Amino acid sequence: MINLKENTCPTREQRGNGLNAFFGKASELIKEVKDGKTGNQERAFQQTSGCLLNFYLTQRVMTIHDSVMIVHAPVGCSVVGLGYREVFRKVPVSLGRTDDYDFHWLTTNLNEKDVIYGAGDKLKHAIKEAQARYNPKAIFVLASCTTGIIGEDIAGVVEEIQPEIKAKIVAIHCEGIRSKLIQTGYDAFWHGILKYLVKKPTRKQKDLVNVASMLSYTWQDRQEITRLLAKIGLRPNFVPEFSTIEQFEMLSEAAVTAPICSSFTEYLSKGLEQEYGVPYFLYPSPVGVKHTDEWLRSVAYYTGKEKEVEKVIAEEHDEWLPKLELINKEFEKIGNGQDINVLGSLGQGRLLTQVPFFNELGVKTPAAICLDFDDLVVDETEKLIEEVGDFDILVNTFQAAEVAHHTRRYNPDIALTCPFQGSAYKRDKGATRIHSNRGDARPWSAQAGYKGAIAAGNFLLQTTKNRSFQKTMLEKTPDVYNEWWYQQSDPLYFVNKEAK
Amino acid sequence: MAAVKEEAQLFPEIIEAPRYSCAMGGAYSAALATFGSVPILHSGGGCGFAQNFGQSFASGLNSPGPVGGASTPCSTLVEEHVIFGGEDKLRKLIDSTLNLMPGDLYTVISACVPNLIGDDVDSVVSEFKDRASIIHVKTAGFAGNSYKGYELYFDAVIDQLLQKQPVKNRTVNILGVVPTQNLFWKGDLRNIKEHLNKIGVEANIIFGDLNGFDALNRIPAAELNLVFSIWGINPAKKLEERFGTPYHIFPSLPIGPKDSTAFLQTVGHKLDIDDAVITKVITAEEKDAYRFTEYIGNVLVVAIPHAYYAVVADSSTAIAITQYATNELGFNPEVVIVTDDPPEEYRDTITHNLTENLESVLKPNVVFEVDSHKIRLLLRNYTVQVVFASSLERYISEKELGGALFLGVAFPAYDRLIVDRSYVGYRGGLNLMEDLMVKYGGPL
Repeated sequence: MINLKENTCPTREQRGNGLNAFFGKASELIKEVKDGKTGNQERAFQQTSGCLLNFYLTQRVMTIHDSVMIVHAPVGCSVVGLGYREVFRKVPVSLGRTDDYDFHWLTTNLNEKDVIYGAGDKLKHAIKEAQARYNPKAIFVLASCTTGIIGEDIAGVVEEIQPEIKAKIVAIHCEGIRSKLIQTGYDAFWHGILKYLVKKPTRKQKDLVNVASMLSYTWQDRQEITRLLAKIGLRPNFVPEFSTIEQFEMLSEAAVTAPICSSFTEYLSKGLEQEYGVPYFLYPSPVGVKHTDEWLRSVAYYTGKEKEVEKVIAEEHDEWLPKLELINKEFEKIGNGQDINVLGSLGQGRLLTQVPFFNELGVKTPAAICLDFDDLVVDETEKLIEEVGDFDILVNTFQAAEVAHHTRRYNPDIALTCPFQGSAYKRDKGATRIHSNRGDARPWSAQAGYKGAIAAGNFLLQTTKNRSFQKTMLEKTPDVYNEWWYQQSDPLYFVNKEAK
Repeated sequence: MAAVKEEAQLFPEIIEAPRYSCAMGGAYSAALATFGSVPILHSGGGCGFAQNFGQSFASGLNSPGPVGGASTPCSTLVEEHVIFGGEDKLRKLIDSTLNLMPGDLYTVISACVPNLIGDDVDSVVSEFKDRASIIHVKTAGFAGNSYKGYELYFDAVIDQLLQKQPVKNRTVNILGVVPTQNLFWKGDLRNIKEHLNKIGVEANIIFGDLNGFDALNRIPAAELNLVFSIWGINPAKKLEERFGTPYHIFPSLPIGPKDSTAFLQTVGHKLDIDDAVITKVITAEEKDAYRFTEYIGNVLVVAIPHAYYAVVADSSTAIAITQYATNELGFNPEVVIVTDDPPEEYRDTITHNLTENLESVLKPNVVFEVDSHKIRLLLRNYTVQVVFASSLERYISEKELGGALFLGVAFPAYDRLIVDRSYVGYRGGLNLMEDLMVKYGGPL
């Protein structure tokens, strides 16, 4: 139950019994989560891996058209926003990027005086400044650890000043200290969207499909989803990146909310159903041929396109299945009778999409590494195990030392690292990125839909053809950790096993 | 787009996209640039991660190095620590880090959260003094910007690590080249060291030295400290107080033969080096540099002769670029926007260094501005052919400034990879011209 009268969402710990550390079989994980035995744990060794504010929000909220992002924080909290004028520029206008956009963000740049006397007036002034300077349609106010600790009443400020401000102000309670699970930040964002921006539907748009996705799905993925939906007479409503305020307002008018990353979308999907009766599904996402089939069928079910969709799927299979077969054959050839093992560092949402996709390509995933886990997608994970069988899973908020340990232990043929995972690429065997980002418009980097399945399959094949960089760097540079670390049997050696 | 209001603002520190991070970000960057040291963040979980994108990647698409980014130990403080304190968590984190990660020096950097909740970080850190070399840099993010963090890093190093030692003649420390905020810090420091080496002076560049811990420890042995931006002045003053090391302030690093010669002559004079030695070096270097400058003549004269130009950069980069572009390339400076928020006391000197000793008839308008939106509006008042700035100005140069040639010289630079590149020294200007003209290249 989502309560939009509240200033913000509950944390993933509160709402989803979320956890930040687990090592074992996926089936055991599900059992523990269902039994409510899990919970967050404390680590005696921990590495920086993102917070509610600084995993996603400061990079992308300002890419919403006609909006201003105000980061109510000391100056360093918004520093990743410095890419804001360049982020989508490499996407050609011919691929559907609009040219008439202009992003802005402000920092309240909290100083020593503010933390003593409070910064409510300063925030008010920043909101006025944003209105006067840019005349936006929406102003997003993002909270920080510092505003949380000094007790800033952001919702109060917003309520008080809204009558003076033409733009709709959206308060987002993404204080880093709120939760150990960064996905709480997604929910806090969607809570703000649902509470302040989404309008009551004036009409239902039967051909409109809401698609909310993380930055980790590329521009080509948007193109592919648009193409496929268009073939059955539907239109996507992509949020939040690079969308207009009107697109948020009309989320309530859509026929269905479809996932591309289930965990990212979950709060929004449930909120739209609860408040406006927009149906949703969370599984599967359109990654891999089979899951794209099912995704399209699910969308078609809610939009009355069941007949049309079968025709489209058949057409697409004619085009893409022969290409998939070529990829399968090549992996078979490389494997030479042995399985090719792939180990990926994945978000909870990607876990559900990527593991079956690897099977489809003809590679195996005996183990996976997952950012965090909660019971909000537990049914979907059960479906996954039914589909691909049980596997080992390490849930660890992408702790780099644990990832290094786990990777060394499983020694997969190909390790897929999350961007910015330190030295994880240094290996004797295969290593590459798990994904690119939204600003990447190259067909090469696609992952979603049929086109993306083939592109991603070929991308994975490409990694097997030359290992010189990762091997050389492994050989020529020292390891970050003492050898003692790799001799421990448990990658969660530093986790205090008593749940907190 | 609405014009910026002219009246004095109630809260001038509310800004669009300032070109620096916080004090924690600056201290963390300095720690990562001290090779062999392991930073330990006592902070929220996103602090290091944010600097990964916002301080390292933003500085010429750089990785943060082996112990940076997701590899950096961090206490990842949340509500329970805010209530019960974070000291115990830090204690465990330091202990585990010492077991897990080899290092010569461990640098605990405390950020906003512990400073707001009043953790006694010094006392936790002191418990480990007998197990490893360890220091504490107290840097609440709200204490200032990245440049302030650079100063605070030196405060901690000087107060907690350095020991008095015999002075070694003809050795100098290089101060004021701020890692990551100076995009070219790695190449520039190497370059300065090589130039000084030519006149028999040994330079301790500290950052980027393969043995960073040794480099820090031998700081007090220098005969002279050379300061290359206003951000090196406080560390230099503190070193003078503590160890009696004199210092000399250069307004910037030298780009091109003229400034390089002046630089070597000044150092030679300060360290009593025989004039003949200096003259021999500068004569040979100038001859070499200008012989190769012949190769840029045609494209310069045909493509951008006497170009009007704008600079948007931190104070020392702005000075270096303005001197070179005006006095060597024959360009005409229209406007220089200084973006590192220098303290008031230094602003007249900076303006002086940007407007005096120029061979052009024109003197640039000097504006101190940190707000990227205001900078954009300001730039629109000028007609220029070249923009030396940060990558924030890249698309503005193309679209709003009449297709001016753009070169990224200042933080942030998301549009180019910078590892070894440097514009410093006799041949540095040639590198600058190579990079600038990439944007022009093509048959006439």
